[in-house]
Amino acid sequence: MKHTLRQVFESGKFVSGFAIFVAILLVVTIYPLLVPEPPLRIIGQGTFFEPGIYVNVYDSISAPHFTLNLDEAAERRIAGRLADRDRGAILTWLVGVGIPESEIDIANTEQLLDQWFSNFDPTVRIPGMTNADRNYYIRLNSSIQGLLSTEDVIIAHANEETASLEAAGTIRPSAYVNVGQIPNVRILPLGTDNFGRDVLTELVKATAVSLKIGFVAGIIATTIGLILGLVSGYVGGFVDDVLMFITNMFIVIPSFVLLILISFSISQEQRGAVTIAVVIGFTSWVWTARAVRSQVISLRNRDHVNLSKLSGHSIAHIIFRDILPYIASYVVMALILQISSAILAEAGLSILGLGPKTTEVPTLGLMMNWAMIYQAHILGKWWAYLPVIIVIALIAFSMNLMNTGLDQVFNPALRE
Amino acid sequence: MKHRRLLFLIIGLLLALSLTLAACGPSVPTPEAEEPEPAPTEVEAAPAEEEEAAPPEEEEEAAPSEEEEAAPAEEAGADPNALPRNETLYFNGQQWGSVVGWNPYSNNNNNAMTIAQQDNARVLMFETAYLYNMLDSQVYPLLADGPYEWNADRTEITFSIKPAAHWSDGTPVTAEDYAYTWATHVKYNTPTGAANIDYIDDIVAVDDGTVMVKAKLDEDGNALNPLLVEAYLSTNYFIQKAWTQTLEERVGNDATALLADPAEDVVYSGPYHKYFADDSKVVLIRDDNYWGQDASMWGSLPVPKYLAHVIFKDNAAGTTALQAGEVDVSQQFNSNVNLLWEQDGLPISTYVPDPPYMIGASLPTAFFNLDSPGLDQVAVRKAIAMAVDYPTIIANAMTNQSATFDQVPRSLMNPTEGEQALYDHEAVADLQWVGNDIEGANALLDEAGIVDTDGDGWREYEGENLSYVATCPNGWSDWQAGIEVVAAAGAEIGIEITSNYPEWSVYQTVVTKSDAPLPEGYDIFMMWSDGAGPTQPWGRIRKLMSSEFIGMSSNWNGNWGMYANPDADAIIQAIPAETDPDALREMYTDLVRIYLTEVPSFTLMYRPQSFHTVNETVWTNFPYEGDGTNPPVPPLNLMDGWSVAGLYNLELVNP
Repeated sequence: MKHTLRQVFESGKFVSGFAIFVAILLVVTIYPLLVPEPPLRIIGQGTFFEPGIYVNVYDSISAPHFTLNLDEAAERRIAGRLADRDRGAILTWLVGVGIPESEIDIANTEQLLDQWFSNFDPTVRIPGMTNADRNYYIRLNSSIQGLLSTEDVIIAHANEETASLEAAGTIRPSAYVNVGQIPNVRILPLGTDNFGRDVLTELVKATAVSLKIGFVAGIIATTIGLILGLVSGYVGGFVDDVLMFITNMFIVIPSFVLLILISFSISQEQRGAVTIAVVIGFTSWVWTARAVRSQVISLRNRDHVNLSKLSGHSIAHIIFRDILPYIASYVVMALILQISSAILAEAGLSILGLGPKTTEVPTLGLMMNWAMIYQAHILGKWWAYLPVIIVIALIAFSMNLMNTGLDQVFNPALRE
Repeated sequence: MKHRRLLFLIIGLLLALSLTLAACGPSVPTPEAEEPEPAPTEVEAAPAEEEEAAPPEEEEEAAPSEEEEAAPAEEAGADPNALPRNETLYFNGQQWGSVVGWNPYSNNNNNAMTIAQQDNARVLMFETAYLYNMLDSQVYPLLADGPYEWNADRTEITFSIKPAAHWSDGTPVTAEDYAYTWATHVKYNTPTGAANIDYIDDIVAVDDGTVMVKAKLDEDGNALNPLLVEAYLSTNYFIQKAWTQTLEERVGNDATALLADPAEDVVYSGPYHKYFADDSKVVLIRDDNYWGQDASMWGSLPVPKYLAHVIFKDNAAGTTALQAGEVDVSQQFNSNVNLLWEQDGLPISTYVPDPPYMIGASLPTAFFNLDSPGLDQVAVRKAIAMAVDYPTIIANAMTNQSATFDQVPRSLMNPTEGEQALYDHEAVADLQWVGNDIEGANALLDEAGIVDTDGDGWREYEGENLSYVATCPNGWSDWQAGIEVVAAAGAEIGIEITSNYPEWSVYQTVVTKSDAPLPEGYDIFMMWSDGAGPTQPWGRIRKLMSSEFIGMSSNWNGNWGMYANPDADAIIQAIPAETDPDALREMYTDLVRIYLTEVPSFTLMYRPQSFHTVNETVWTNFPYEGDGTNPPVPPLNLMDGWSVAGLYNLELVNP
């Protein structure tokens, strides 16, 4: 045993797969301890906030302000609100209302804005302008109001008694705050999803749940496959015929179709994560059964088995002591593959809307499903689905690496 | 040997490719003229594999019926798969699945482009007497000539028909057609007949050009419901008598057969008719002999020659086509629609440029099952409704495509000005909760003595923990997201609320069965309410509060939580006959007060009558707020009620 393990851990492929897998497991166990927030908590009012650091504006007003005189501050400020495209659009407008193009210099911000503010009128329709253009100009006009202003901004309180505003402070254009001094800063490394939930927190929990589904389903599938394969292969004869008849029947029906039908017929109230895992387990054992059976058939006439028979050992004894150890390596590899395919199956089911209930726990498939429903892929909100895909890929990849590594160790034909 | 294997591989690949192409051929519609490219491959592949011929054949089966219809327009000769882009207006979000029929008597045509007899009736092919305009709550004559008139007792409506109006076969539209349409609805008990038979006694032709609609009377000789009689005029189509008789003959006067007839030969009066329809798209073509070009109506033909609706797989496919400029008018929920112009810079706009982007018309509502233990208590109902975080529902579930309850305080009215003016805002201001009021909700429950006595975190009522299931149909994403927020609110006030999403097929049968208590799992459930229409807000209020629907085995009207309040019933019954605006305002205010006090259900968001997003890549001059049209053209996709007027204003961006 010790020797086998050492052999296994000498395989580079197995070790890298194992490392990835352990890393995922570690993150899944440690992260919830560091961030104890419920993973389904809706924190954002609005959908798909971009990944980034969110600084509380209210707090930053009262935090200590520092003056930094930086050269490019004003330029950046202008560039942020008046892009080159906007300058081009202003040019189009000005030309449209009859200002000669020679008098317009789109690089000269001051002059350009001057001309803009003295000529813009939201009610004018220049020829060829669509309503979308009109809306754009109105938006542009309000966003560049006060762009060149160098005056301080005044912060005011509303005094309820006198119904007037009272100045509470001013903010200079050169004022900065130190993020470390602001009590409320929230880092959203993967932004928020369509519900306004923190994607990272949700993803970690979803990975844990999906792994659980994978393990439960994988163990069920492997156990069923193993038992049927062992019995059918060793006992043979009529029992073999019956068991293989059933197995073949299941092979003919695509297991995913079966999975869909069963999931659909279970009403959603009952469709928890474990139920889904059990359903996946019960529909994916067939190939394991067949493979185990063929291995057992080749083992059953070996000398040591015959010897065991002659010694009068029971069938159970022979199966578990004389046959199982020889196929154990295969079973472990099958289990790994079953786990990885069960995780994929859950994702597939959830994308079809047949996965576990939404509210209780997140799963990788459900996250993808909701990202798709709210069209994250069309709107370019990659953080809602790409990390999920990467995690699924990583899990499947690590499992397959481990499997290949094991194969190299146990399969004499592949041994280096 | 090796070569042969390679050859097989190539042949195999080619076969697979041709199979895929052939299979895709009919079902992947590209509105642009790029289509012909894959087509030759299809033809080449066909002889190679006999089975292959099947998909193209299917298309041909559909074709002959098209040809009959398309024959008169043959000289135009446009291939329905390659319509001239600058003569075609493309839609999405209306038609899902292929058209079943063109029969205006039936409800089962699945024909979203032409048949919808509703508050804002769809009038591209069949026409109503009047067109309702949801923006000013007025009706405007279409086939009718001038306004209708009630007699002195308000028991009969008379209107005349435009002399210019004629059917697609050239014969004039007469009063007899209208009377016969009604007689047919009654005789065969069509959905329209069944819905109106309790309020309309008869429709008769006074002379060729004058129609009289007689209301059903109560014991005192007053019209039972004058409001619904009026609404009939703008809701239901004129159908030609001669064609109806042909139809009756064909089906041997059998009601089921009459409703099931696909009516490919139907005679119509509207500006568009069938050009092409299969499982990939529906195309309507303009009737250049349309009567409405007469000066007494529009004075011209509608601008686009073709109206086309590609049948998309889902919303995502529809949005992608809208982004690409392959759809001009989008009637679907495009989540975060503002990003299409703010982020992507596309020439896409909605009726209103800023949130809520649309005109809210209906009130998607969460109903309480009043039989659930604890939900018979007003305090519990109101506490739940007060605790819900509505701004999050509106921002997240509706991606801001709904007015907030700060902008439009809750009542029974939709956000349109006309309805908002119908109740006294001051009088009920104290009752209009804005949500997220955890403290208030907790205080309300404490005051009612509904507290957590055993310390498990959940309040009890009569010794039982308050625990409910909130539900809506699976896959209705904005409602589901809304229900999630409702469930989250429960935890804050010590009421356990879990969510559950059954399939629509199950959900609808359970919810609409109002002759027995709702089963477990339906404590708080979402359903819709009426949008904008000639009977609103009365119709909506009735469907939210009236007890008349309790006991119906199939209740598609409303009040699914089975709320009964005799005071409310009395007011609801009295409103249709009331004509004094002040009295009406008082009655509506009373209803709002009862509704907000008793909380039999609560609105989660406002929703537009139709989503209306346009892409101005090809066409422009779509209706928008403040576009200067008079009367204003409502944002109903240029096909419902008065919004059809927008078709006459369209212009090409690049003529």
